[in-house]
Amino acid sequence: MKNQFASLAFFAQKINRQNLQMVLVIISLVMLVVGVGAPTDGGGGR
Amino acid sequence: MVLTLAVAAGLVVGLGWARWRRHPYLPPELRHLWLVFAAFLPQFLILYLPATRRIFTDWFAAVLLIASQITLLTFVWLNRRVTGASILLCGVALNLAVMTVNGGFMPISPQTASRLVSEDMLVDARLGSRFGTKDILLSPQDTRLEWLADRFLPPNWFPYQVAFSLGDVFIALGVFWLLARSGSPTQVIQKGIST
Repeated sequence: MKNQFASLAFFAQKINRQNLQMVLVIISLVMLVVGVGAPTDGGGGR
Repeated sequence: MVLTLAVAAGLVVGLGWARWRRHPYLPPELRHLWLVFAAFLPQFLILYLPATRRIFTDWFAAVLLIASQITLLTFVWLNRRVTGASILLCGVALNLAVMTVNGGFMPISPQTASRLVSEDMLVDARLGSRFGTKDILLSPQDTRLEWLADRFLPPNWFPYQVAFSLGDVFIALGVFWLLARSGSPTQVIQKGIST
């Protein structure tokens, strides 16, 4: 348990602020285009 | 769904360009991101999530959709100085305009819709009823600002059929440009100077 917590903390340290910001921006942009766009999807087959 | 491809393509080009120039890729500096979450969450519940979608009336969904789009337009306006945001702003404004004047949904003609679904499915649908997630089935004569409606289609031979509007084209171009240009050297230098 202690080892798991230590490895989690180590992993968290490796994620820097810029990576986190990038993920947040990408998620926001996906939500934005889905929210404002209105294409109607017919898919691959009718 | 198809618009998320523009996000992916913009990101790939931006990352590739930054790597090629040996510059770090910096994501666009967007402010007031909470507005996107606040605007999209109600849309997700009312339009996309099947369990909650059927609870709400079309009227309520239309009002909420317009309110959500206005919030997202405000977000893009607040970030209008970011590269590509002005193109995105045009697209959002065009879609908002046509949806507002057509009862809160994006109009699509039966002729265009027939390319997306089988004729059997279309026979059951009547004019003025909802079609897909955000669309409403309207004849071109009854559609206001018809040139801004979901009227464009890929060629018949194309395996993936989707109807899209002029606003959608601007949105795709805007978000692509926003992400593709973020990794460019000029953007990195400008950000370096500003910090």
